Amino acid sequence: MQIKEEKQNEVHIFKLVGRLDSNTSPIFEEKVAAAIAKGAIRMVIDLENLEYLSSAGLRVILKTTKELKRLEGKLVLCSMAEYVREVFEISGFDTFLPITAGRDDALKKF
Amino acid sequence: MTDNKISFKLENKLFELKRLYRQMESFAKQHRLFPKDIFKINLCIEEHFTNIISHGYTDCETHWIDVTLAVENGNFMVRMEDDGIPFNPTKIVAPDFHCSLEERKIGGLGVFLTRHFMDTMAYQRRDNKNILVMTKKIK
Repeated sequence: MQIKEEKQNEVHIFKLVGRLDSNTSPIFEEKVAAAIAKGAIRMVIDLENLEYLSSAGLRVILKTTKELKRLEGKLVLCSMAEYVREVFEISGFDTFLPITAGRDDALKKF
Repeated sequence: MTDNKISFKLENKLFELKRLYRQMESFAKQHRLFPKDIFKINLCIEEHFTNIISHGYTDCETHWIDVTLAVENGNFMVRMEDDGIPFNPTKIVAPDFHCSLEERKIGGLGVFLTRHFMDTMAYQRRDNKNILVMTKKIK
């Protein structure tokens, strides 16, 4: 998996490319922790090029959501494929996580 | 000519996930599965595989997990056999979805997703082995 990072108007954006599975989730978890340690509390995860995720990926996203909420920040997810969205919906994650169609809409949530 | 069945062994190590995906995807593509079905079946296999290797063994030895994939009468079948401690995923309780965000836990979610995506799941303990058979309609 490739993890691209950029900043736009005080929002830290992660773009995930490839597979977020049990093997790669710890790498992403570390990158998120490093960003939070540097003061990032507003985050967008762009899933446009995410091919796959399992509950290991959901675990990192849940942990990040809780952590950012505690810090009075926010996490928004965007651009996910329909079958990825289905996983979020079945897991009930869409009830506490804003999910937007595109990145521009995600940035408007802050 | 395409085979209707393949079998392979995976070591109880996370890096084996890559080989698992390669096997799964090449077999599924031969049988012209939809990408969304490949994704869902892949997820179910990963969830069971990671449960086995995280909770199944108390020693540091190498163990092998036997995986068989088959396509038959419009069904995709996955059979996984391991020699870990008894573990019946069909008996795992679904996580509580109605609690607050702070109380949301991830435990049990993999099994819950598997139950949702697969049409059948059957567990058997035989000769000190766990045998899980899952099927999903693909046509």
